[in-house]
Amino acid sequence: MTATEQHPRHRLDELLQNPVRFSIVAALDRAGTLGFKEVRDAVEVTDSALSKQVSSLESAGYVAVGKSFAGKMPRTSLTLTREGRAAWKAHLATLREIAGEPGR
Amino acid sequence: MDTTPTITATEARLLLDRADRLSRSAHNATRWPYITFILALGVATSMGTFAMALTTGDAFGLAYFATLAVMFSLIIFFMLSIQGRSAFSHSRRWTGYIASWFVTYAAAISVVIWAHGEVVPAAITSGLILVAAFVSAAREARA
Repeated sequence: MTATEQHPRHRLDELLQNPVRFSIVAALDRAGTLGFKEVRDAVEVTDSALSKQVSSLESAGYVAVGKSFAGKMPRTSLTLTREGRAAWKAHLATLREIAGEPGR
Repeated sequence: MDTTPTITATEARLLLDRADRLSRSAHNATRWPYITFILALGVATSMGTFAMALTTGDAFGLAYFATLAVMFSLIIFFMLSIQGRSAFSHSRRWTGYIASWFVTYAAAISVVIWAHGEVVPAAITSGLILVAAFVSAAREARA
């Protein structure tokens, strides 16, 4: 086994290394489901930047996007899926390992 | 060649702190109306059904209308306070909380209808409403 294979950074989820995607999943971690605007306000990005990153997460199966209407106003909700939660937990566990605090 | 970006222990710690902060602030900013509503609904319907189960005549009428009035006021407050942050109200978790409240409420109403005046079943079913509401609120607050 080589030294590079041993380093935990190789186990980090590639998709979650993007700062915006990381923040989106972090915002959804406790809440489970949030509205598009709630996530946008929490992550502090523009609507278009958020849409782009949400699409990537949706394609990977990490986030489910729901569409509904409140009167004539469209409402978009984002839900962290089971796959997304598992990937997020594994990503955080690897970060803890790198940080040297596995039991945190 | 190894192209995986190196991440130091300090950077990892900063990322973990950021994730924790974001997760807490997003949850805290949107959940208080839900937690307040389920708690208040539990307390009001628990007291209301207990009073209805043990009273008759005017006292029963007062308990009945007071419970309905409080329930409708709470629903209006809830609908107004979740405007713009209603996504969670369509989630499976919220449906579970409301379903657990409804099952216990239906049991308490059954006691009011079919076992009127019996203290023990009334206390048990009304108590169960409180327990269901408190557990739901606590679970959501600690999520």
